[in-house]
Amino acid sequence: MSCGKPHETNCHQVLAELWMFLDNECNRERRELLQRHLDECGPCLEEYGLEEHLKALLARKCGGDHAPDALKQRLRDSIREIMIRQAVLGAEVTVHQTEDGTIVEVSSVESHAWLSTES
Amino acid sequence: MIRLRNVSAGQDVTPAVVVTAQQCRQTPRSSLGLLVDWRVPSTTNADLGMGVVGIMSADSAGIARSGQLEPSPEETLVESNVGEQTPAVESKVEDQTSVTEETPEERTARFERDAMPLLDQLYAAALRMTRNPADAEDLVQETYLRAYGAFDSFREGTNLRAWLYRILTNTYINGYRKRQRQPVAQPSEEITDWQLAQAAQHTSSGLRSAEMDALDRLPDTDVKEALSQLPDEFRMAVYLADVEGFAYKEIAEIMGTPIGTVMSRLHRGRKQLRDMLTGVARERGFLRDAEVAS
Repeated sequence: MSCGKPHETNCHQVLAELWMFLDNECNRERRELLQRHLDECGPCLEEYGLEEHLKALLARKCGGDHAPDALKQRLRDSIREIMIRQAVLGAEVTVHQTEDGTIVEVSSVESHAWLSTES
Repeated sequence: MIRLRNVSAGQDVTPAVVVTAQQCRQTPRSSLGLLVDWRVPSTTNADLGMGVVGIMSADSAGIARSGQLEPSPEETLVESNVGEQTPAVESKVEDQTSVTEETPEERTARFERDAMPLLDQLYAAALRMTRNPADAEDLVQETYLRAYGAFDSFREGTNLRAWLYRILTNTYINGYRKRQRQPVAQPSEEITDWQLAQAAQHTSSGLRSAEMDALDRLPDTDVKEALSQLPDEFRMAVYLADVEGFAYKEIAEIMGTPIGTVMSRLHRGRKQLRDMLTGVARERGFLRDAEVAS
């Protein structure tokens, strides 16, 4: 994979850094050097083109799934449930079952006591 | 004194007790068998600022859970409970005394505004990790609930997407993978065939534009399938870089590894993937052997 011509940077080195170049992870100086090489070296440019193509192919074909609506709704419900628990749970809460129904007693951690009523 | 209306059922529900969030916000305690559901009409702070939580008996909770709760028009949701002040005013006063303190309602609103829109992306990533929809749903749900639980430690202005991906990855690696329904390695016969073909031909540097054209013709499912055959760490690195477009540094943070490890995983993952895809394209007849330079 070398065109046999002399370059500022040898083909082996360029190929080793191809992915970094492709991922935009080189500093500017290195980037310009690699770009110059690709401009004058056909085989390296071809290799670059293939890798670029593969990267684009993956992006195109492997993303874009949508979460099911039921999952979204379930999450929203769960989050609200947790929020309410967090909001309320500093208080003392007791639940009694009686013949008349359920009695909930809540007293805050502060001085107030919230009395229950029956359902 | 207080009424909540179940809009969908058209029924009024009488809550046993109403407390304000401000008065009872302390350390969490375990779950109770009573109402825990509260839908607000919108997520604006003005609405959430009511700071009201209706607590109902388990009986009426059954009714309330199915619908939206809102105050009946003629009566305010909370009045005498908080004395002379309205809850909104009380909330303001508290905000002044503890400037950085965020109420659960505000945090929830922020989470729904910022994190929920990323759900599709996280789900797609979870699907690539777990390789089946049921596990992906479970993984995403666990991830989001963890993220919500830790959201007070997330600083606004930092990279929320990377933060969520990190939780997703940790959740998957540290626990989820161990109890996954589908075995981690489940190569099909087809894959084994590709691998044999690859071993014999060493075509990794043999892709030419004819091959790329052939790869373009592969259905999405083939490409996804090939990606799913990569070992976990390679697959995640490739996915995060190529599909999600994360920088190496971000991937390193998400995966909790040095950048060098990310690069190595990317390198090996992409190489294997390219080999596999070439194999599938050939198998599908999109590519003749003669077109493969070896």
